[in-house]
Amino acid sequence: MTDRDISFDEIVDGADPERIRLQAIHDLLLAAGAPPELPPSLEAAPPEPRAGVIAFPRRRYTTITVVAAAATVLFGVGYAIGGRDAPQKPVQTIAMRGAAGATASIALLPRDAAGNWPMTVEVSGLAVLPDGETYTLWLTHDGKLAESCGTFAVAAGTTKVPLNAPYPLKQFDGWVVVRTGTTQPFLLQTGAA
Amino acid sequence: MSTTEVTDGTLIERVAARQREAFEELYGRYARPVLGLALRRLGDRGRAEDSVQEVFAAVWRSAPSYDRTRGPGGAWLYTIARNAIVDAQRRRPAPTMADPPEVVSTSATPDEEAEVSWNAWRVHRALETLPEHERVVIDLAYFSGLSQSEIAGFLQIPLGTVKTRTRSGLARLADVLEGEL
Repeated sequence: MTDRDISFDEIVDGADPERIRLQAIHDLLLAAGAPPELPPSLEAAPPEPRAGVIAFPRRRYTTITVVAAAATVLFGVGYAIGGRDAPQKPVQTIAMRGAAGATASIALLPRDAAGNWPMTVEVSGLAVLPDGETYTLWLTHDGKLAESCGTFAVAAGTTKVPLNAPYPLKQFDGWVVVRTGTTQPFLLQTGAA
Repeated sequence: MSTTEVTDGTLIERVAARQREAFEELYGRYARPVLGLALRRLGDRGRAEDSVQEVFAAVWRSAPSYDRTRGPGGAWLYTIARNAIVDAQRRRPAPTMADPPEVVSTSATPDEEAEVSWNAWRVHRALETLPEHERVVIDLAYFSGLSQSEIAGFLQIPLGTVKTRTRSGLARLADVLEGEL
């Protein structure tokens, strides 16, 4: 949410017979803040937990030890071959929404040692622009564009693009996508920052 | 909440009978409120996300203990979630982070914090019941800070429609919250 006051008078008419009741909900919404967006890993319900823990019989210990040792070796080999390129888990997912059903999801990856916040932005439903024209993802502060996180073009359907925010994110309070060179928002953050 | 929607209590009873579909429906209704509660309590996104799975594992295990005569399903689920999150907090104390993506201030007293958490839980759950067209304008007005005119421009719909949807969304939230889920 931005720091700007949200005017209840703008939303509910002064003569509305339910004004007091709606004012209470208005206040509750402001106090509650935005519900967080679920990361992709939590979009589906987890598998139901098993009823209980079943202990292995003692006679299987030798087999278990051999299997565990083999698994450890295989894990080590696998890590050496490909582990360093394994995809990182997002630390935060930001949902965005625009007109005519356009949506975007920013999967923010862990900050690196240099202070970069790499991210993958997945965009759907944005208008395809003429050749040479792009969109820009901005971090906002107090409702104004603050720092650019990069530009991108979109194709019909869904476009997935890697971008980066080399800034301390605590300085900002929102995200917006605009047409490059303008300040008109095409996508706005809808969930918690 | 629409009048045809199955109540939370009924869903919990079906989870107790080990109906997977009921568990998924309950998850759909409460995953975001649970994550919000965990974020508020733990102050760390990664630990909060981990605790969501633990909460729903606890829901699955504890569903047979639910008794609808002792209160609504939403309140029971809140208690289960709060306890599971507190357990997670005790097992894994917060690590020191140089620049966490989110910092939750907890300057309120424990009682105040509990009330804020409970109210946020109810509001976040109630938001899940809104029709999409009302949810969008409420999101943009309250969580993106847009004026009614800006929302109209952004969604390319008449200002009157924005006002009608916003008011209707507030009234629906009032109905849901007064009905106590």
